[in-house]
Amino acid sequence: MVNVFVGFVRACVVLVVSMLVPAVWAAGVGLAIWWRNPWTWIAPLVWVCVGTLLLARPVCRIARSLVARWTGTVILAGYREPGAVTQLSTGYWWNGYSYERSRRDAEKDLAMRVRWKDPANWRDLRFTAILAVTAGLAAAVPPAGVVTAVLGFSQSEPLLGAIGAVVAVASAPYAWRVFAPVAVRFLRPTPAMALADRVDELTAQRADATVAQAAEIRRIERDLHDGAQARLVALGLSLATAEKLMETDPRQAKALLREARVGAASSLSELRELVRGINPPVLNERGLVDAVRALAMDCPVETAVTAEGELRLDPPIESAVYFGTAELLTNAVKHAHATQAHISIALDDVAIVVEVEDNGRGGAEVSAAGGLAGLRRRLAAFDGTLEVSSPAGGPTRAKMTVPCESL
Amino acid sequence: MRIVVAEDLYLLRDGMVRLIEAYGHEVVATASTGPETVDALLKWRPDVAVIDVRMPPSQSDEGLRAALAARREVPGLPVLILSQHVEQLYARELLADGAGGIGYLLKESVFDADQFIDALERVAAGGTAMDPAVISKLLSSGSSNRRLDRLTEREHDVLSLMAEGLSNQAIGQRLFLSDSAISKYTTSLFGKLGLTDDDSNNRRVLAVLTYLGLS
Repeated sequence: MVNVFVGFVRACVVLVVSMLVPAVWAAGVGLAIWWRNPWTWIAPLVWVCVGTLLLARPVCRIARSLVARWTGTVILAGYREPGAVTQLSTGYWWNGYSYERSRRDAEKDLAMRVRWKDPANWRDLRFTAILAVTAGLAAAVPPAGVVTAVLGFSQSEPLLGAIGAVVAVASAPYAWRVFAPVAVRFLRPTPAMALADRVDELTAQRADATVAQAAEIRRIERDLHDGAQARLVALGLSLATAEKLMETDPRQAKALLREARVGAASSLSELRELVRGINPPVLNERGLVDAVRALAMDCPVETAVTAEGELRLDPPIESAVYFGTAELLTNAVKHAHATQAHISIALDDVAIVVEVEDNGRGGAEVSAAGGLAGLRRRLAAFDGTLEVSSPAGGPTRAKMTVPCESL
Repeated sequence: MRIVVAEDLYLLRDGMVRLIEAYGHEVVATASTGPETVDALLKWRPDVAVIDVRMPPSQSDEGLRAALAARREVPGLPVLILSQHVEQLYARELLADGAGGIGYLLKESVFDADQFIDALERVAAGGTAMDPAVISKLLSSGSSNRRLDRLTEREHDVLSLMAEGLSNQAIGQRLFLSDSAISKYTTSLFGKLGLTDDDSNNRRVLAVLTYLGLS
């Protein structure tokens, strides 16, 4: 009985929602017929167009929330969001399309443009039309049955009334159910919309990656210029002077040669550090797991590593995950003041998952300009993610997931 | 001593051979790839081999793997591994069999020729020669930190030089201390760490490395 009642209410709701737009159309047609003047069709046409356009999106929003409430299925909307507006030095506001005098105007203008250019509009229109002739018609059955029953009994035609009542009760638990599959099928983002979103995302990632790469190359150039190159010049100078002094002042020449040797050793150690920062040799020689083990051994806090066997990944992913792990471990030492850490590396069919856990004081946050946000961006270049759980007082758990195929 | 040199870069190989020959030792064979190195080691059974870690054909840790493979065939075959970078990980793998006769040094250690040849002779005699960089990383890493905090600074210095593989006499020379002072320090630090002192320097060094978790 409860099923029947709930079903009946839902059918009525579906009927109302799905018939909103057709009602506008019917009103337009009715208006045109009522006026009977062949030239007055323009006003009803405007009424139909404006009404449909204004109602399509609210109808879709309601449909989405109803499906979510009744069946628990979440349908992504995929509407475009208006971006941010910026104030220019002239005082005017620029929203990417036009200059406006005030922030409000700029935002309003942008919202309108985004709203009307959104490819989701076509999908919404299509959905409202399809909804009326599918779920709308199906949902109309129980109310129609009730109406028939009421009319039948009041007009003393008991057979018609009985048929109406039976139809209403029998169809009530099922009539609204057509709604959910129709909504799921026609209301999710279309492939074109999903592609458009993906293109936006990739454009942003490419910009990030290019900037990061350029910065990295500049850093390497600067390190070489101020470090190894300068030291080699000094080395050459020492050797040249020693050569000159060899006969006149052998003792000083010997001292210079010793100095040159020390210089060569320190430029080697500088180069070694630089190389380690670009691509750690052990990563190249042994792959991710052993490289992380080597990292853990050199770490000033006790660090255990558990890993599922040997795995070799694409070098760029391997490098990103390695440097991510190194950064998380450094955070555990520097910021969390941990005394123990644990790294686990696991690879399943679709992704590599690296978790770094410490017993430090916690409280780590992903702030816009912070290191963790930078790490998240670098992982995003591979469609990877970073999740951080770090309550104040610890422990901190950070999990990096990067989709990949093991080589 | 009869020595095998494995190094893929001609300039370095040539320089190494000249240096070794200048100290009156004999280079019986050279190799420039991993497989060649294994062959040369097993064919010549040298007194000691000097091996570069990174070599063709894979340009990864060929030298290290060649050394380990040869030592599986001939246990305790003395090898001195040279590398542009040192890792505790590799040091542990080299020392894992506990047989001694292992050297693991940064390439620039050849700059000090006397010390380099000294290390080579030590390894040939079944001792060890660990790069100071490995030892300092080892002593400052998490697990060692707590166990070593009872040592005085001087004992710490002595321990790290001992872990590099030096004898009491050599440690005394480095720290400008007398032999008897060094034996006093070693006795006290062995007592603190609960290790039994051994007359043989090589066995003693291995005991220290084992204690530090390196083998």
